[in-house]
Amino acid sequence: MGIYGFVRVLAFFALISIPALDVVAKVRIVSSIPNLASIAEEIGEERVEVKSLAKGYQDPHFVDPKPSFVLELNRADLLLYNGLDLEVAWLPVLITGARNSKILPGALGHLDCSTLISNILEMPTARVDRSMGDIHPFGNPHYTLDPRNGIAIAEGIAERLKQIDPNNASFYEERLRDFQERLAAKIKEWEKRLAPYRGTEIVTYHKSWVYFSNWAGFKEVGYVEPKPGIPPSPSYVAELVGKIREMKVRLVIAEPYYPHKTPALVAKKAGASFLVLPSSVGAREGIDTYFDLFEVIVDEVVSILGRGDKNN
Amino acid sequence: MGTRWFITILYTVVFTFCYAGIHEGAQGDERDELRKEIEQLRYQVEIMQRRLMELEEKSRLLEEKAKQRETKEDPGRVTAEVVSQRKEGFAQKFIGAFNPDISVVGTFAAAYFSEDEPHGRAEADPENTGINLQEIEVAFQGSVDPYFRFDSFFSIGRDGVETEEAYATTLLSLPLNLQVRAGIMRSKFGRINLQHRELQDFVTLPLPAVSFLGEHLNPVGVEFNFLIPLPWFLELSASVNSPEVEVATFDRDENANNIGRLLYIFHLSNFFELSDALSFLMGGSFATGSNGTEPGNRSNLYGIDLFAKYRPLRNNPYQELWLQSEFIYRQAEVPRGNLDDWGAYAQLVYRFAKRWNAGFRFDFVDTGDPIKLEKEKELEMEDISGFISRQHEHGEEESILGLFGREKRYAFMLTFNPTEFSRIRLQYEISDPVFEKLSHAVFLQFQYSIGPHGAHPF
Repeated sequence: MGIYGFVRVLAFFALISIPALDVVAKVRIVSSIPNLASIAEEIGEERVEVKSLAKGYQDPHFVDPKPSFVLELNRADLLLYNGLDLEVAWLPVLITGARNSKILPGALGHLDCSTLISNILEMPTARVDRSMGDIHPFGNPHYTLDPRNGIAIAEGIAERLKQIDPNNASFYEERLRDFQERLAAKIKEWEKRLAPYRGTEIVTYHKSWVYFSNWAGFKEVGYVEPKPGIPPSPSYVAELVGKIREMKVRLVIAEPYYPHKTPALVAKKAGASFLVLPSSVGAREGIDTYFDLFEVIVDEVVSILGRGDKNN
Repeated sequence: MGTRWFITILYTVVFTFCYAGIHEGAQGDERDELRKEIEQLRYQVEIMQRRLMELEEKSRLLEEKAKQRETKEDPGRVTAEVVSQRKEGFAQKFIGAFNPDISVVGTFAAAYFSEDEPHGRAEADPENTGINLQEIEVAFQGSVDPYFRFDSFFSIGRDGVETEEAYATTLLSLPLNLQVRAGIMRSKFGRINLQHRELQDFVTLPLPAVSFLGEHLNPVGVEFNFLIPLPWFLELSASVNSPEVEVATFDRDENANNIGRLLYIFHLSNFFELSDALSFLMGGSFATGSNGTEPGNRSNLYGIDLFAKYRPLRNNPYQELWLQSEFIYRQAEVPRGNLDDWGAYAQLVYRFAKRWNAGFRFDFVDTGDPIKLEKEKELEMEDISGFISRQHEHGEEESILGLFGREKRYAFMLTFNPTEFSRIRLQYEISDPVFEKLSHAVFLQFQYSIGPHGAHPF
């Protein structure tokens, strides 16, 4: 094989490697929680590779920082996280171990999604300390449970993707529009279904549904935890049962990963319904997208409150 | 809402007054008239209430429409504005202050020992019957710049302050996935050596760690950590350190001007996930350096560590079981020949409720060359002078390179964590050394921590 032959072989490999490179050049997104991962998937579709560190059926406050997560972050182009101290017990140590300057604070590949949210609830305006329980000093972090926030989050993620991968900017833009339209339409539909139950008084296990309640128009009148992160004492439970009965609260809500015994007991004693509601994509089989999540939440809430109506 | 309440109150007041009037005026006609008026009033109030509700609903819908239009029409602008619009909370005011994270952990232990002078304990272990201060750890941590972060831990005891750790870590992407740490560090030798007191599962330090690593092996050095590009997590660490440490295993050589006499430490760490719930962290360590007993004398330390964790996330998210175990073997050249010592520990902890865990630990050290104790435990200094590390001859306390013989220990532990920031731990320990009689100890440990929520390593 002469020099031409060699060049030809080189050219051949160069040619076949172009599409191969294209396949490799997917933007690698690592998300701390599944809800953000799902939105990123909607925007990036096949041009990105998305991985969520926490599982949907897991308490996002307490995730084991497994060394395998270091590998994921080491290879990531974009890190999405919830922020507001939700992941403070496990994510910082992983970012340090990742040896990846692309995802360090201030870099393009570092996106604290809470900065995209205009309406952060429960932002302390006075001095807070831990005698009030394990509170989040920057505001309530469970904002993904208001689907209207999904629109802003998608916007922020698309913005970053456009900068990280400018070649596909128009694709991301198009996907963003599509996602926002679909989500806005769904939100209208969900709101219509929830409308008859506006003003419903509910009790939740942890203070993790405030954004959802704010959207659905529910009134949270109590929590099974006396203070965030503090399990209830028997006397507190008795007090809560009395309160629920007196206020005729109809619904007690807890996520799948919180203990169910106490909230179920509280609901039963006070004549309310107890509902285990998923708060994350992947919390159950069949909840694979951000849309599925709210579909299930709205379905279950409406069906249980509707049943109550018939009984009355 | 206010208006609706007002109307309801008005309604009640009017109704009550009218009702009272009925009873006072006994005339039938008046009663009928009054009743009619009440009916009318009630009707009017009801209409007003309905109107008000309609209005409220309308304004809410309008507001929402406006909001949606905003996000839809020019989302880019909205996102940009979001940041500036956000109200400044109390905590936000401190973000810009560039203060490092400061935290303090206080560890105390009430202890009862059946012996007067319990043997084989680490510096921060409870010393005698009574209430002991184990350690007050003060930490300052933060990013230096885009290239480094700096972590420092100071251990305060009754006798003074020790710099437990103070090191910088590189944050950049370096070739070969390298990460460098430089400063005073708990060396990557096994697992327990990296665990600060608040991360340990028992009140006392396991015997092999006490005998071979001291309270902790924390020389001044530079450490290179490579992430090997394999499908699983494999990290190779190599460090070069000064051999002046608190434990007698290593010490400065008389001919210190020799690179070969420094303390070199290597660690290989593997992480496997068999399933979502079950994972293993396995490592091997090697350390070699001069021990200061005579020019050219070295100590070699070999270690194997295993950490296995079972945490079924789906069914019982707060129940977990973990096993931590290490084996350490030490070879040391001393003036009279070679020492061969080894030891191991294994601890199993079961977290059976969100705030509770219980565990069992077995630890032992043994030696092929016991230091002979003559005349009822009194050390014959001439006999063992060869074993004594030079550095520690000068200090107040003498630390001996070598072991007296086999020592076994069993510990049972029950821990209650009221929150992540406080801990109460009860421990019962039986110690069985061949050179002393069996002894018992009971501890009640209290631990409190303040400051930002520190992230725990795996």
